Amino acid sequence: MAEENWIEVGKVDSIDMEDLIRFDHAEKTFCVYRIEDGFYATDGICTHEEVHLEDGLVMDDEIECPMHQGIFNIKTGEAISPPACDDLKTYPVKVENDLVYINIP
Amino acid sequence: MNSLKKILIIGSGQAAIYAASEFRKNDKYSSITIFGNENHHPYERPPLSKEFLMDKKKKDEFLFFSKNFFDDHNVCFINKKIDSVDFKNKYLISFDNKKYFYDKLLITTGSTNRKVEIDKEIDNEIYYLRNLDEANKIKKKASEVNNIAIIGGGFIGLEIASSLNQQNKSVNVIEISNQLMGRIIPSPIANLVKAEHEKNGNKIHLDSKIKSIEKINDAFKILLENDHIIETEMIIGGIGSIPTTDLFNNSDLELKNGILTNKYNQTSVENVYAAGDVSNFYHPLYKKNIRLESYQHAQNQGINAGKNIAGIKSEYLSVPWMWSDQFDLNLQLTGLCDDYHEIIERGVDTENGIIHFFIKDDKIVGACGLGLVGKVGRDIRIASKLIEKQTIIDKKILSDLNQKLNPLLKK
Repeated sequence: MAEENWIEVGKVDSIDMEDLIRFDHAEKTFCVYRIEDGFYATDGICTHEEVHLEDGLVMDDEIECPMHQGIFNIKTGEAISPPACDDLKTYPVKVENDLVYINIP
Repeated sequence: MNSLKKILIIGSGQAAIYAASEFRKNDKYSSITIFGNENHHPYERPPLSKEFLMDKKKKDEFLFFSKNFFDDHNVCFINKKIDSVDFKNKYLISFDNKKYFYDKLLITTGSTNRKVEIDKEIDNEIYYLRNLDEANKIKKKASEVNNIAIIGGGFIGLEIASSLNQQNKSVNVIEISNQLMGRIIPSPIANLVKAEHEKNGNKIHLDSKIKSIEKINDAFKILLENDHIIETEMIIGGIGSIPTTDLFNNSDLELKNGILTNKYNQTSVENVYAAGDVSNFYHPLYKKNIRLESYQHAQNQGINAGKNIAGIKSEYLSVPWMWSDQFDLNLQLTGLCDDYHEIIERGVDTENGIIHFFIKDDKIVGACGLGLVGKVGRDIRIASKLIEKQTIIDKKILSDLNQKLNPLLKK
């Protein structure tokens, strides 16, 4: 069982539906997404080049990099469209008392 | 069950590698061989004018896929120049006179830099950037000089100008027309790019035709027709490119501004396909042939060719898209911006991004954006999708920064 280290990201309302916010913590950067199926989190930087995904396009359960159009699955982190070929790391997310938390090991 | 085939690919750029990869996903056993005439495994070209020139990336960091790709996917890479093709008997002949037979052939020979023609002695001293070896030569020479002149204010010239400026070089850009990056870019955006270069110290000369270039010792004196003189130690040319079709000049392959292909990447010769810069392809959305020179096009048309060669009928429908990075700015362009009724602007500064949408019959036909890295990508991508779907849009939303554009995709 992975060690649990739940960090508060913010209020549920701080993330629009089908959108994301950038969340920085302990010198690392993440993207926290809100889609129809719930809240999800991945690493913030595209695996293709050093570009933050915070300005990317969220559609259904996919995030598309704003620089070179690499696409990842938000739930699994899988790189599903080139030029991205390495997957994004994903992190568990939970909602409690209207607050969103990310589990960062 | 399909019988095993021999697939040959001439050219080893982005279209080739993505075609091979896609073909292999759909056919595990047929043989694939890529012929490249550079002494390198296939690599990405965009970093050549940027991170590579600025010493921020080394070659191994921009090879396509991993070094093991060829072994892992059973793709053969042969570093040989092809001298001729016999389409009737279906084989290639390499420079060392060896024959290579094919069942299906993909041509991805790309494009070749157009050369400056001033005077023979001077012409031979002008540097160009198309491949890794040329980038290395530019890097080496640039490290020995301080003043560099770039002929041509297009994307490649300006990216080089930006990179060399950041290496503390004094750069002059000479452009024959009255704006940078050609007429396809809206002039307010071209002017912002010009201002960014000038703010950083580059000198941009518009409306400037070269009258003569004189070599004095190791330096050059460039005389413009307006009598302005530019003294420089190095000249780089960036005046566009032409499709690389020399190999097929006297063949049955139908050529017209590249190799004519249909929406399935097929050429006029049976079992011969073309993709990337070299193909002048029929685009169903535009109902005409177009030729594109971009990273995304080479990748996506390569993938489409890989599918069709594997026997999966696939139309190429990708909406054109390209980008350019200069200093801290990222420019993105999508669609075709040559036939429109009006332009709608979104955004007021490059810090948050400015986009010009080209509108015809209440639909977006093209969009051009400029902003700090990441600031225009999302809305340009939304524009690409709206162009593809030919969605009728509420134009007011486009210029209203209080409204996100994402909901337009749900219509």
